[in-house]
Amino acid sequence: MGTKVIKLVFLKELKDIFRDRKTILMSLVIPLVIFPLLFYFMGSSMDRSAKQVEDNLTVTIVDSGNSSLSQYFGGVEEVKLVESSDIRADIRTGRILAAIEIPDTFDEDILAEIPTNLVIHYDNASQSSQMAYTVLSSMIEGYSKTVVAQRLLARDISDDILTPVVIDSRTTVAEEEGFGKLMLSMLLPLMLVIFSISGPMGVAVDLGAGEKERGTLEPLLTTQTGRLSLLWGKFFAITVMGLLSTISSLIGLLISMRQSGGLFQGSAVTLEPVTIVLIGLVTLLLTMFFGALELSISIYARSFKEAQTYISPLMLVSFIPTYATYLIDAKNIDTYFFHIPLANITCLLKEFLAGIYDLSHIAITFSWIIIYIIAAVLFARYMFSKEEVIFRT
Amino acid sequence: MIEIMELSKNFKKILAVDAINFHVAKGEIVGLVGENGAGKTTTLRMLATMLKPSSGTATVAGYDIVSQSSQVRGEIGILFGGEVGLYDRLTGRENIGYFAALNGMTSAETAASIDELIGLLDMEEYIDRRVGKFSRGMKQKVAIARSIVHQPSVMFFDEPTAGLDVSATRIVQDFILHCKQEEKAIIFSSHSMSEVEKLCDRLVIIHKGEIIEDGTVSQLKAKFGNDNLEDVFVQMVGDSNGN
Ligand SMILES: Nc1ncnc2c1ncn2[C@@H]1O[C@H](COP(=O)(O)OP(=O)(O)OP(=O)(O)O)[C@@H](O)[C@H]1O
Ligand SMILES: [Mg+2]
Repeated sequence: MGTKVIKLVFLKELKDIFRDRKTILMSLVIPLVIFPLLFYFMGSSMDRSAKQVEDNLTVTIVDSGNSSLSQYFGGVEEVKLVESSDIRADIRTGRILAAIEIPDTFDEDILAEIPTNLVIHYDNASQSSQMAYTVLSSMIEGYSKTVVAQRLLARDISDDILTPVVIDSRTTVAEEEGFGKLMLSMLLPLMLVIFSISGPMGVAVDLGAGEKERGTLEPLLTTQTGRLSLLWGKFFAITVMGLLSTISSLIGLLISMRQSGGLFQGSAVTLEPVTIVLIGLVTLLLTMFFGALELSISIYARSFKEAQTYISPLMLVSFIPTYATYLIDAKNIDTYFFHIPLANITCLLKEFLAGIYDLSHIAITFSWIIIYIIAAVLFARYMFSKEEVIFRT
Repeated sequence: MIEIMELSKNFKKILAVDAINFHVAKGEIVGLVGENGAGKTTTLRMLATMLKPSSGTATVAGYDIVSQSSQVRGEIGILFGGEVGLYDRLTGRENIGYFAALNGMTSAETAASIDELIGLLDMEEYIDRRVGKFSRGMKQKVAIARSIVHQPSVMFFDEPTAGLDVSATRIVQDFILHCKQEEKAIIFSSHSMSEVEKLCDRLVIIHKGEIIEDGTVSQLKAKFGNDNLEDVFVQMVGDSNGN
């Protein structure tokens, strides 16, 4: 009878959930569209400020000596020279993006071959202004190079003398994948942990506290079925929904990475099938752990609201070890990290994404996850069997 | 059918039920009557195996509520007042069917039993619609059908008519009498003396967790020399407080 009843409870819960538009929207639809939208807007706003600088590089040049450099800038099409009486104020308000102060002695210094100082004013709190600074610096760099080339020519020396070593860099990750991989190794572990917490949450609240709030728990407990079968059926339904929610978030993430014009600029990242399977397995187990934990909390709560209040701190606490490790480099992670709850998950996922398969790290982390799951399920079982929990007043 | 022996329940410091004894025969409706907090719900929850007794025990249809709780649950049907406790997103039929299956019925048995109940309670029109939009009366009928779908031999009713209008109350009362006709053993708790008088064969008066009287309505009326059951009840409780 055991497995038959578990299946019965499981199927009933899934049917019930799939008929609930709100839950479907919250756990499947929103996760699917949130990342494409978010990254699209992030990407396009970055594009926009880059374009703004390109089209509208407003600069004030303070140069009483009318040096060759200001003439050089006058000839550069992108630079729009603007008069300003108060450069600092104009930079702050955005009327100009940057200002260059050229000393009176500029041309003399260049001729005399002594270093000359030049000041660039910009707003280091503004993205556009910073971009303008970068563009101007590289223009001045270009100008310096032409000066050097002239000096060398005058001495009859080839400018090869300046580059004794030529570097030809070859990356281990395909060039166009590099950025995507880097972002992925930072984002994905973090995201997967967050999804594993948030994915099963809505359903766990509904199947525990919701059952109490609607008054269905009492009749349910008077059926011939044991409480354990109810617990298992609910647990599997929560796991499946949590996983579906995570998968839809991942599909969303994938779409957002492929999307051109987004933050990732369509940089394609390909993962090995083994990596995908391992990452999937870790996610599944983690979802089971959080699902069981959330169900335990939910059955303790008297209402939906109470359950949500109790589960929120769980999320916050879980974020600490997750955030603490998300910037860590996948290479050379110390073994003790794999004993820290959740930090071990992030670290292992990072290694997988970097193509590192360290057997002892895998063994340690998987052992811990299994222990977490067993502990969480035992806890849920304890909660289901306690009168003080089921009939809390 | 129901034999209660020295049954007690402590909630930390509160002694909610204090060594009670009574029995209910086949086809008998016993009214469990007492003030708020007297211990009625706690008693019924123990009999339904939702709560474990602190001491003492009871047998229901021959099964012990402590050591054979699963068999006991297979023999009981409950209808508790207040929230009817249905799944809004399931249809009436699915709601009833779920509980039938949880009580170990096959799908053929379930279908036959539900069809019979649909006729009995006149639910054809809406049984395959989702419960969420049902009126209170319609929900009440589904809850009634759910409580009896697995053909239990014992029924527990805890203030089943609380908050119902006249016709919904009538439906529930008729159902209780229908259960009696089917020879089920019934425990029924209520705060309405007229309802108790109308339905019950015998009354068990519980006060602060203890049973202070056990007898038929006429026996109790004779004992206290009063023909008004409400007055009799107030007198019993008052006497008991005096002691
Ligand atoms: N889960 C619980 N935890 C702690 N105390 C409880 C619990 N359930 C009931 N009690 C206490 O036990 C006593 C008996 O309560 P019970 O609900 O059985 O009374 P009742 O006769 O059903 O009352 P009412 O007529 O109000 O429904 C009360 O003092 C109540 O506060
Ligand atoms: Mg009560």
